Amino acid sequence: MRDLLSPEEKAIEAVVARYQRVAPAVTRFARSLSGNEKLRVILGPDAAASDQEIVCDPRLFQAATNREAPVTAAEMALASAMHEVVHLISSNFDEPESPDTSTDLLEHLQKEGGPVAEVLFFNLEDARQEVQGLRNYPGVRSVLTDIYQAAISAAVSKAGPLGQFALGCFLYCGDYVEREAFERRVTSRAQQALSHAHPLCRKAAAADDPMAVAELALELLEIARDYGLLTSVREEGTQAQKRMQQKQDAEDAADGADMVRLPSPSVQSAESYHDVQRATEARAGLSDRKGASELAGDASTDQLLRVSEAPTVYLPTGMAGKLIVTPAPVTFARFAENGRHALEMAARRWGVAQRQVSGELYPLFAANQRRGLRSGYDQGDVSPHAALFIGAGLYQRMYERRASRTRRSYAVSLLVDASASMLQPRNQGRDRHSWGMSAALLGAMTLARLCHELQVDFEVSLFNRGFASRPSDTEWTYTRAASQAAAGLRQTHGTAATRLTSTVNHYLVKPFDRRWRDAEAVLAGMFWTAAEPAQAALAARRDPRETPPVSMFERAANVDEFNLIHAAERMAKLGAQVRVLVVLADGMTRGSVEALTSAVSAVERSGTIVLGIGIGDDTATGAYHRFEIVNRPEELTRAMVEGTRSALRRGLALWGIDSWWLRPNRYEIPYLKEAVNA
Amino acid sequence: MPDQVSISDPTGVGPPITLDRFEVPRNLEDHHQRVGKIPEPDPHYVDLGMLYRFAQIEAVRRSEPEGFAALHLAVRGHMGTGKDHDIEQFAAHMGLPYYRIPLTGEVRDVTLIGSTRLHGDGKGGTESRWEDGDITRALRGPALLNLSELNAAGAETLFALHGLLDRYGALDLPNGETVRLRPDVRVFGTMNPTDIRDYAGTQTLNKAFADRWVIWEKDFPAADQLQAMLRRRYPSMRDDYVEAIARLAIEVNASFVVPDASTRVESPLSLRSVLDRIPTGLRVYHSDTDPLRRSWEEFVLPHVDSFDRDHYETVWNAVVRKGPAVTPFAA
Repeated sequence: MRDLLSPEEKAIEAVVARYQRVAPAVTRFARSLSGNEKLRVILGPDAAASDQEIVCDPRLFQAATNREAPVTAAEMALASAMHEVVHLISSNFDEPESPDTSTDLLEHLQKEGGPVAEVLFFNLEDARQEVQGLRNYPGVRSVLTDIYQAAISAAVSKAGPLGQFALGCFLYCGDYVEREAFERRVTSRAQQALSHAHPLCRKAAAADDPMAVAELALELLEIARDYGLLTSVREEGTQAQKRMQQKQDAEDAADGADMVRLPSPSVQSAESYHDVQRATEARAGLSDRKGASELAGDASTDQLLRVSEAPTVYLPTGMAGKLIVTPAPVTFARFAENGRHALEMAARRWGVAQRQVSGELYPLFAANQRRGLRSGYDQGDVSPHAALFIGAGLYQRMYERRASRTRRSYAVSLLVDASASMLQPRNQGRDRHSWGMSAALLGAMTLARLCHELQVDFEVSLFNRGFASRPSDTEWTYTRAASQAAAGLRQTHGTAATRLTSTVNHYLVKPFDRRWRDAEAVLAGMFWTAAEPAQAALAARRDPRETPPVSMFERAANVDEFNLIHAAERMAKLGAQVRVLVVLADGMTRGSVEALTSAVSAVERSGTIVLGIGIGDDTATGAYHRFEIVNRPEELTRAMVEGTRSALRRGLALWGIDSWWLRPNRYEIPYLKEAVNA
Repeated sequence: MPDQVSISDPTGVGPPITLDRFEVPRNLEDHHQRVGKIPEPDPHYVDLGMLYRFAQIEAVRRSEPEGFAALHLAVRGHMGTGKDHDIEQFAAHMGLPYYRIPLTGEVRDVTLIGSTRLHGDGKGGTESRWEDGDITRALRGPALLNLSELNAAGAETLFALHGLLDRYGALDLPNGETVRLRPDVRVFGTMNPTDIRDYAGTQTLNKAFADRWVIWEKDFPAADQLQAMLRRRYPSMRDDYVEAIARLAIEVNASFVVPDASTRVESPLSLRSVLDRIPTGLRVYHSDTDPLRRSWEEFVLPHVDSFDRDHYETVWNAVVRKGPAVTPFAA
């Protein structure tokens, strides 16, 4: 038997992602099965079932996926989900045994047959629910058959005669195995008992209600006793001894079938069934409050769904990983006023112009795109504004001629490292200040203005690693969601919790398709957080419900290559002919420099110009073909802005545009000069 | 053809209805053409109840009860439910020439009713002549008029038909002529449901126009009905295939009709897919390892919107997963 699923496909987020693809159909099937058109099927940490909703525990899907069976991932996702849905819909053992008594089915069973009868009942009831609930879904039944059959050999060899007998009852009732073939595998005692039990199992499959199944389970118990499968207790034995012996028998009986059946808490045991009932009661009313939400309402499941729905980014090296792509928290706009003031001060201090950043590029981009005219000293007609131009000394614009509208298009994407290390103090002359991220964000702001003036499509993104913030998060909601998700996932998924909560995140501050005006306040607020981290942290402590999630920058690690590939893919979708990607980072990637280098090469091969700017770290020299290392804030912002300007100029030159009038720039960077001349 | 036809109730509840077939008078100018428009009874047609209901109305009409007014029947249903087929087969049973006139948004009243046109006399002169439109032409003799896609037509087109469909029972032509609804003319219509589904060009039917029709809903066939259709049309198709195809159609169409947009598909598995495409695929790929799967991939999935693919494939896995291991048709 070959295992079709790789370890990556068995990870919980991959299992949940596959479930999400079949979820609409599964919900529709569940509604048909229950006869309730409003039933919702959602994921949650504890299985529960009520009239309005069914909560499936994704760990059960993962447990099914870990089986080695000849089924595909899609089949497994469907079968495990339907299996859980059918059992949660069908299991109701709380009805009184008879109208005259208050004893319910499980109590009756315990009283009349003890724990072994209970095991036999759940084996039969599990199979009966599948036979009847999946009557219209033979495909699902066939997947379950394959899953069960793949586990039979190991189960038979491990189980004793009683376990083999109980397993046989389950398989016969569900019609999952050929009788003769199965009986050849088991011990002679189990074989004899099973041949006697077979008609009862088939009867159980057609039973109308669980009570009838319980009566058949008691009959099967008698058969097991008759054939000596149960441990005989001496008459003189104490009650405690008898109970111990029954418990041991029950464990022996459960041994075989538990290796074959898929775990479903509602038909696993009386204890797990009651857990489901308790979880259902605990959720009572919650579904009404949640409205149409598809989430189960707890932070850990929300996070699990978020990771599973995140795009998978593939690197040229063959590596792949999930990347949480989300709008940046809009609550940073609350710091916008402080941010704008701080920006003005920083721009003055570091000598970064904030108006008409586009300089000599402007006439060639925006002005002429609007008017369809090209200016010059000696060609075309005299401009109607010639007098004004002469007065202003702009002789080169005296004449203008109509040029065909440019079909070239440009796109600029700026990726800024937003890990905690960018907020650490750095040398600035004699002092040490935290200028890494603030200088980067000033550069981003300036670059955004440059692109805005030139009417060039642009995007500003931040990337980091940690618990991903949501667009509406405040410090309060962010920190609580982070701690609750971590705690919940540690409880349900153990060591996988770290992977699921510390994700690689890509925050879109200003996506290509949004207006700069909408994003400016958020970026300004982020600038203040970066420029004054202590004050921002203080504000967050004082009023966490109103302040943006400043804690999202607390982790130092980062994985540059996934973000780079994703940003390049987003930009490529625009179809722009000149594409510039500026990556600003302050150190080593948490991934590998080799992967980063191959990612940069792949992006460059696709025609995108990638500029790597390293802050006080020379990782960029090894990974990027075009790089700059800066050690001072003024160098950083100029490197970003001038790098982009030069790349745009290069784009113009490559397209054969006259650039004789372009003035040499004071901050021309040597390697970019080469690029322009290339 | 016999002069009478008997139509049975498929549910077995009602008695068979025997009706006289119509005759096309020989003195009609277009007698030959009209006779040629009488459809042949489809030997594979399975009445799911609609034909019998048509016959019930016809029987009442023939009995000329007191106060009776001619009713016009419209069938509303999703694509591929067999609405037009029912009406066409009623025409075939009744021996009526069948005129199917699609009322697309582009059809104008002059196309349906007619207009005066200039004709050259060959000597340089011209004369104005009236030319019947599609409906007027049909009304000049015995006919079953099927106005398909009623709710795709523009309002001005529909208003032109008001007089024909109400008690007045006649069309007043712009040339002054009045064309009366003959006793051997029956008017039917079909339409798709108007909801958020992608029936391009359809709209909610004008209330005044809708009031002139009896509108009956036609649902997707049930599993046993689908199986009966497949068995009648393909007697040699093996049961495993018949049952699997019916199951697929039932589940896909159940997903199509649910109101919740998050759990439904936008493309149903139409009768054309069930009765035409998949069986053709089974013949094409009869020697394949899994002919049903191959037919599904080649003849069904290409019709499905990309965002419905997962749902279709989930339905496949849920109700079939692996096609029958035998050849589709008995030798």
